[in-house]
Amino acid sequence: MELTTSQFVIGYYTFLLGVSCFGAYTNKRQVFMLAFSLTLVSFVLGIVGGAAALKAIAICAGMLAIAGMISFGFREFLIQIAEGDFGAGIRNSGSSSVVTLILVAACIVSGVMGWGFTEILIAITILFVVITSLNPETAKELRTAPLTAAFGMFVIFTYAVAGIFAPWIAPFGEAEVISSAFAPPDENMLLGADQLGRDMFSRIVYGSRNSVGLAITATVAAFILGAGAGLLAATKGGWFDQFMGRFADVIMSIPSLIFALLMLSIFGPTTPVIICAVAIIYAPRVFRLTRAVAGNVVVMDYIEAAKLRGEGMWYLIRREILPNSTAPLVAEFGLEFCFVFLLVAGLSFLGLGIQPPTADWGSMVRENATLISFGDITPLIPAAAIALLTVAVNFVVDWMLFRSSGLKEQ
Amino acid sequence: MSEKNVLLKIRGLKIQGYSDETWVDIIKGVDLTLHRGEVMGLIGESGAGKSTIGAGAMGYARDGTRISEGSIEFDGMELTTASESEKRALRGARIAYVAQSAAASFNPAHKIIDQHTEAPLQYRLKKRMEAQEDAIDLYNRLRLPNPEEIGFRYPHQVSGGQLQRAMTAMAMSCRPDLIIFDEPTTALDVTTQIEVLAAIRDIVEQFNTAALYITHDLAVVAQMADTIKVLLKGNEVEEAPTEEMLSNPKEDYTKSLWAVRSFESPQRYRPKDSTPLIAVKNVDAAYTGGPKILDDVSFDIYEGMTVAVVGESGSGKSTTARVITGLLPQSKGDVLFKGEPFPPDYRNRNKDQLRQSQMIYQMADTALNPKVKISEIIGRPAQFYSGLTGVELKNRVDELLDLIELDPSLYYNRYPPELSGGQKQRIGIARALAANPTFIVCDEVTSALDQLVAEGILRLLDRLQNELNLAYMFITHDLATVRSIADEVIVMQQGKVVEQGPKDDMFTPPHHPYTDLLLSSVPEMDPNWLTTLLEERGVDNVGDAASAKITDS
Repeated sequence: MELTTSQFVIGYYTFLLGVSCFGAYTNKRQVFMLAFSLTLVSFVLGIVGGAAALKAIAICAGMLAIAGMISFGFREFLIQIAEGDFGAGIRNSGSSSVVTLILVAACIVSGVMGWGFTEILIAITILFVVITSLNPETAKELRTAPLTAAFGMFVIFTYAVAGIFAPWIAPFGEAEVISSAFAPPDENMLLGADQLGRDMFSRIVYGSRNSVGLAITATVAAFILGAGAGLLAATKGGWFDQFMGRFADVIMSIPSLIFALLMLSIFGPTTPVIICAVAIIYAPRVFRLTRAVAGNVVVMDYIEAAKLRGEGMWYLIRREILPNSTAPLVAEFGLEFCFVFLLVAGLSFLGLGIQPPTADWGSMVRENATLISFGDITPLIPAAAIALLTVAVNFVVDWMLFRSSGLKEQ
Repeated sequence: MSEKNVLLKIRGLKIQGYSDETWVDIIKGVDLTLHRGEVMGLIGESGAGKSTIGAGAMGYARDGTRISEGSIEFDGMELTTASESEKRALRGARIAYVAQSAAASFNPAHKIIDQHTEAPLQYRLKKRMEAQEDAIDLYNRLRLPNPEEIGFRYPHQVSGGQLQRAMTAMAMSCRPDLIIFDEPTTALDVTTQIEVLAAIRDIVEQFNTAALYITHDLAVVAQMADTIKVLLKGNEVEEAPTEEMLSNPKEDYTKSLWAVRSFESPQRYRPKDSTPLIAVKNVDAAYTGGPKILDDVSFDIYEGMTVAVVGESGSGKSTTARVITGLLPQSKGDVLFKGEPFPPDYRNRNKDQLRQSQMIYQMADTALNPKVKISEIIGRPAQFYSGLTGVELKNRVDELLDLIELDPSLYYNRYPPELSGGQKQRIGIARALAANPTFIVCDEVTSALDQLVAEGILRLLDRLQNELNLAYMFITHDLATVRSIADEVIVMQQGKVVEQGPKDDMFTPPHHPYTDLLLSSVPEMDPNWLTTLLEERGVDNVGDAASAKITDS
């Protein structure tokens, strides 16, 4: 049944007024204020923009509601899994048996599905890690997660699936020319074609693998370098601490983009060089944070007790210092990941990042940039993909920071 | 006293705290009536809700807590329904607050007098010059040294006791009707405590200010309060005038608080003709680039005996322990273990030497890794020194948990933050025992605990000593603890040993004047103790002043 314009407008106002009356009657102050102020705004917008404006509002509200419902559902889903404590069995069995289990599972699944073994292996490993970390303790913490954090987790989950299974999700190959340049969307191509006639949607899906994968690897490398040096510096102290600190200062004093451009022009824009350059640029920040956090831990009495016991440096770092500095480090990981991601996208945009024909969101923005002058939004789609991921990661990180800061909600 | 004189009236106060996703009652309906010029002592163990009530009397609920029921009426004004700005107008001007740690409560970036005059200027009660003159007058009344000049120093430039007095002066700056003292002397030494107590009592009397005095020390509250209210887990136990409460407590809980310091272990004497377990010989020590902290310190500790080291803070007690454990290598002298010299730096000692001397820390919170399970905290030394693994290790941990009177099945898999203060301290003891030591340094192990819990720990340590033939070096500034557990006593002052000997001798005169000062500074339950002491010694002969005189002579 097609709704006429007048029916839609009448239904729209009836719904809003109904909600505000309900809010007022049940003393839900926030619901009432939201619904009624929206009614008043709609009066003005309806006069200015007609029924189309009201429809836009309705669509926005609907999308927000769907995002909210998805987040709520996803959080409940995680809580249920956590409360079920499926990971208990994995935690209790030895590491060798878990590795065999993962390998066997990956073999079976890839045999049955006919999909690549590596992808399945990565997916199953991630699944195992996630399930192991979901225990009743985490369920309690997940309950405190705001909807934004749940939304962020859901987005990250979607990107991970898209990235890992890109070859089976994307309808075409990332370098496959299938149509004329800048062809509009049709039933074959969800988002149209790019400047060479390649399917935009397929390239976005592949891009999540290439861009995100590169950013994650570079961030992990930066953390291994920075956190390792920071922990050592905090534990050893003395001249080693001083030396590492000044060395980090030197690296930090060089503008990051210039440094990356320099490295890439000297060694050529290959993936290992990008990873190394980015890791070196971001390691000093991680070093500073780790050293500060670990510096507060090493003065504790339990560290003194362990030293007096005669424990070695490795035990001190691994069992005493690291467990007490993970919370801020994990939060920092999320933040750094966003910076790294944006830097890699920026390098690609400048033409020094991941090289064509490999799909990468940053270079996709640049390649299709001319379309902007024709009022087409195609170049904004990879940009939106970058934005959505960084926002999602920040939502999750905000929640973690809130938790690690020890604040309690009122 | 008539109804008209009532300053603060709290009725059926309930305060809730947020934990584990629900609101839990912390204060479960407390009534309190305070008249003008009256001093009421609030006592109870930690977690009893003393400080929460103190904050509640200002209409304030800390983060994560809320006032859920009841009424707080200050001078006829209802605080639970008052707006934030109305409450703000009262705080500082008519209700003032003195916190436990003055050092942490002063802003280190501003001069004391500038912080002092902030409130009167803010409320436009005085001009800056007047406020400063008034501050100097108050410093004078509180007998701070150099009252003209001391306000112009920064907080880190004055001592702890002086800072606490400056804070009391600051609370007085607007001549409030009510001051809330939240454990103002708990962090201070006995000698410093006296002068702060005398100063507070004086000034409260002079201005006829009402006060809520929060503390867990019964002897202190006996000196300060007109009436005493005993709290337990958010409930009132009983309230009575001080004299009556001390002589005739009605409730069992109050009686148990009063009876606490009864524990005394029998005196042991040195075995004849044997080498001491630990011998400290003419030791000097200093931190790099700093002045000498220890000056020619010598003493012996024999197997199976407890040596208590007493003295005020800064006297070098803990430094001595650090020299023995090897954390601070001495610059001169020797530490002998069973006649053999111990390498000065712990890094040069072998596993067996490290195993022999263990340490129990003052703050169990920072001494136990919060992210490691109890089983590993206790199990690690056993694994590290004896190489136990698997079932053997688990049995050893169970055995140790039994030894410290905690049920292994309940505590094996828990983390330190889930335990109470006393339980944490027991875990600290178990960790030390796991190494099978012969000598344990106990660094102020009971001073962060309530009296009831502390007594439990002392009894446990004494039992373990008898069972395992351990030697303790017991560092403390609390002479009651010394009386209950020590066999020998060492008195330290400014890095020197001023007196040492068996416990019995130490508590009978004649003494070194410093020992005398320490002994006489310990508050007693008699409510007239402070008055008598001040009459005997004179106001200028207690605390830091007296201590300085002894050093000069």
